[in-house]
Amino acid sequence: MRKIAYIDLSTPKVEHIDPGMDLLTNYLGGRGLGVKLVYDNLNPALNPYHPDNVIVFATGPLTATRVYTSGRYALISKSPLTNTIFDSNSGGFFGFFLKSSGFDAVLIKGRAPKPSIIVVDEGDVTVKSADSLWGLPTGETVKELLNEYGSRCGVACIGPAGENLTRFACVVSDGIGFAGRGGLGAVLGSKNVKAVVARGSRRVDVADENLLNDLLKNFIKRIRLNPITGKSLPRFGTPVLVNVVNEYGMFPSFNFKSTYFEDAELVSGEALIEGFIVKSRSCYNCPIACKKVTRVNGRMGEGPEYESLWALSALCGINDLKTVIEANYLCNDLGLDTITMGSTLACAMELSERRLIPIQLSWGDKEKVKNLILDTAYRRGLGNDLAEGSKRLAEKYGYSEASMNVKGLELPAYDPRGAYGQALAYATSNRGGCHLRAYMISFELLGVPVLLDRFSPVGKADLVVYQQNFFAAVDSLVLCKFLTLGLDDESIAQALKAVTGKPYDKRELLKAGERIWNLERSFNLREGFTSSDDTLPTRLLTPVDKGPCAGRVIPLKEMLNDYYAVRGWLSGNPLNGEPLKNPGVNGLKPL
Amino acid sequence: MKEEVYKVFRKYGRLLAIHGYVAGHGGNLSLRSGNRMFITRHGAHLEDLKPQDVIETRVDKPSSLDTIASSEILLHRAIYMESAQYLACIHTHSPYAIATSFFYDELKPIDAEASYVLKRIPVVEGEAGSQRMAEAVAKALKESHSVIVRGHGVFTAAQVIDVAYRYACLVERSAQLLYLVDVLKKLGYTFITPTHL
Repeated sequence: MRKIAYIDLSTPKVEHIDPGMDLLTNYLGGRGLGVKLVYDNLNPALNPYHPDNVIVFATGPLTATRVYTSGRYALISKSPLTNTIFDSNSGGFFGFFLKSSGFDAVLIKGRAPKPSIIVVDEGDVTVKSADSLWGLPTGETVKELLNEYGSRCGVACIGPAGENLTRFACVVSDGIGFAGRGGLGAVLGSKNVKAVVARGSRRVDVADENLLNDLLKNFIKRIRLNPITGKSLPRFGTPVLVNVVNEYGMFPSFNFKSTYFEDAELVSGEALIEGFIVKSRSCYNCPIACKKVTRVNGRMGEGPEYESLWALSALCGINDLKTVIEANYLCNDLGLDTITMGSTLACAMELSERRLIPIQLSWGDKEKVKNLILDTAYRRGLGNDLAEGSKRLAEKYGYSEASMNVKGLELPAYDPRGAYGQALAYATSNRGGCHLRAYMISFELLGVPVLLDRFSPVGKADLVVYQQNFFAAVDSLVLCKFLTLGLDDESIAQALKAVTGKPYDKRELLKAGERIWNLERSFNLREGFTSSDDTLPTRLLTPVDKGPCAGRVIPLKEMLNDYYAVRGWLSGNPLNGEPLKNPGVNGLKPL
Repeated sequence: MKEEVYKVFRKYGRLLAIHGYVAGHGGNLSLRSGNRMFITRHGAHLEDLKPQDVIETRVDKPSSLDTIASSEILLHRAIYMESAQYLACIHTHSPYAIATSFFYDELKPIDAEASYVLKRIPVVEGEAGSQRMAEAVAKALKESHSVIVRGHGVFTAAQVIDVAYRYACLVERSAQLLYLVDVLKKLGYTFITPTHL
């Protein structure tokens, strides 16, 4: 039976609710389910830190099955950084344990009177005191809870950043999974929730074991033969992208003032392997094993991943890999999103260069960077301003151009001036500057499944829409997007059919994805976002004069017109707050 | 140097395409220079290569740029590491060579030029992009200048790309001749063995 735990911390009350097959059929699970629950349970213009904001931990129909990468979970709420609907997807094992505990999702509302943990255990939910855990870094928190509840459980927790309501605080699960972006860790902090612990032994029924067996045999072959999932990621992890992206002049440095980094080799995947990687790790049931454990100055820790590495190196003008790794460990301990942290630091460096902020912070200042990361998590001194994210920081000090954000979320490690499709994907993303809503880099750089001309706008709108719909579905199943480098939409639909017994095909999968996308867009419109928010920072709409992308101007307006037409949102004029033509939500009952 | 390599790749890519030995995304080219390897990128059209289709990477160990290099990079690297005398490799999807590979474990050319230059062309097996195929091809190329992977295509190696290109042409010509001779035999013609071969 499907079950959602509905927890009101203010009362405190726990209800077990059957979401009904319609909800799950239309929204699948994971991101889709969470978005629908948040949409139905939130009033517009609510402060994300208000007790009435809800946050949802959601698994998908494939979670805890034999399908590869099925240990993930999705975390959904209204973001304190962007004020958009926000879902963040995390690897590790927590999703597996949450599903095994007997729940498809846990919805949390209200605010606990004191620091608490939520324990989801074999079909039961209890709220317990977290007095002894409050203030601990994430690693210590996980260790304490595993000591108490045993090693066969999942722990998703916040660090000091979340406790102090840093707007980009993240949620760390099991020490290796990060629901990184959007500040959902701060939402938990605002509810006085330090951690959620999940434990259980329930098994997921599979409708057609034979079909699943055949599919999995085919999947593993394709995953292993794919050059990225079979070779590059297992060997180098995601930092394999540093040299590749820099080669194409898309590795932004110095707060996107340049589109490449002269010292990229010093912070590349090769440099990481030579000096720092100790071993690989993988999430639940994952054959790719892209996670890397590093060691520096006697301490071992996770990562850095490509985005974290970039944000804490090239973006800030730092070329010392030891510093970058240590800064990454610090962000993990404190529970901070590394991309927003790096981007906010780079913003501060630019403001300092213009003498607009009250401290001297030069590009590449390694020592100050580490201290400021700490100050951000504890909201001390300038750290209190940094804790607001780059958009609010830049606005406060009178130079909003210094913040490289879309809809309040800082952009990641691919300069859009080098890939027009990715530029469109950034601008139209429902959660802001994000490469994971539509990863056009796979077409425009990696050539997977096919290589496109990155400087042509032709056909890009269609592809962006397709990817957005497809990834919305994948995030709702909840699977790792790296699988999509080797497996196509029909294969994934077949896996869903094998597990659920329902006649899914790629068309149904993409329809569900489109429905989820449109609901997210509806939420944002309700919050006051309009089509004028589908844009890029001014700096990125002007060409650079050096490097492989010199002279290139993104034809954003032209692509946006195509995009709205493909989406069916256009009736001759841009959206501008008008109701969506086909949101796909009609006739569905709220929970 | 990359600019020079591009010019070379472009010339031989076009020639191979004109002959019909490569089409679409098929085939790849590589050159070795010191501890560097230049190879066509994954998804490149050999008939119309662009400068960005040339990837520079390491020959002695994997590199992050392997991510966008030809999916046969493992194999090219294995060839160079096994046989220091080779500085150029060509891979084609030549149709007659592929067709005859289903019927022979080894091709013995019957025309004067190929029988003299190539002597024998071994046929090996292996899945595209796999370590097993890379090892099989590299091993075969230690003893011979050319090899056919059954059902897949031709790999040739030489000190200069022009010679590797010549070998690729000879392999396909040999396979075509074998086929034509077989057809003529089946049509009832009597085969006359040349005394000079």
